[in-house]
Amino acid sequence: MTSRLRPIKKRKGILGGLALVTVLFGLYRSLVVAPPDAYQGEVQRIMYLHLPSILIAYLSYFLVFIGSGLYLWKREKRDDILAYAAAELGVLFTALTIIEGSIWGRPTWGVWWTWDARLTLTAILLLVYVGYLMLRSLIEDENRAATAAAVLGIIGFLDIPLIHMSVYWWRTLHQPPSILRPDKLPWENVHPSMLVALAISFVGFLLLYFYLLSLRYRLGEMRQEIIARRLTRGG
Amino acid sequence: MSPWGFVALAYGIVWGSIVVYLFLLKRRYNRAAHELDQLGSKEATAGHEQK
Repeated sequence: MTSRLRPIKKRKGILGGLALVTVLFGLYRSLVVAPPDAYQGEVQRIMYLHLPSILIAYLSYFLVFIGSGLYLWKREKRDDILAYAAAELGVLFTALTIIEGSIWGRPTWGVWWTWDARLTLTAILLLVYVGYLMLRSLIEDENRAATAAAVLGIIGFLDIPLIHMSVYWWRTLHQPPSILRPDKLPWENVHPSMLVALAISFVGFLLLYFYLLSLRYRLGEMRQEIIARRLTRGG
Repeated sequence: MSPWGFVALAYGIVWGSIVVYLFLLKRRYNRAAHELDQLGSKEATAGHEQK
């Protein structure tokens, strides 16, 4: 079985070191160099976590979608391992996004939580993929669990376009995008030093994500190897 | 809570959670690697006995 993450696996140590340095530099830019927001003040600094977290969660669910689709099509275990690893990380980053949003919302909106369209759809996304992980542990038969989870992984991904468009389709409390706007370039709407902090923070999250994914993927591979060896010995 | 208090809370929870997840993942990883090693050495012993 050829690994889906072969280029990353061999450079795991370098990737981990690079992620650490970038994350620390991102923290410095976010907390020290970037100026406070004219309206939100210091609390806006939470956005340097919030935006990278949700983008990483989306990336993770995209990998679940791809891995699940390939698994249902070709029935190769490595695609299922990738989808399972990405789902676990997607749940982590979605949960963190909701927590960060909640902490930002309290001083900005005056509430920890509101049943706004984007927030509700993000909570649904989290529940779908928590369901995905539960399904994996509840169904004993490995292949049946993988098939059922793959179907759920694909269906769950359909929530992401809804989350993205929710701020346009419904009158919501959550503001529309500040950076990825069709009518303005990013630097026309956001101060360049804020943009730099956000970009470095995102790169840090991305490197960290691929480091975690490579570890989690290898764990999945080892589990498969253990199951296969036990079956061979049993047979 | 002051604005910096909210910022500290958010950053603390996020990086604390990531560090805890990384620690737990490494532990699961090491356990699986150890189990795989044990299976490998058992297979080697069984192979020698058969010879």
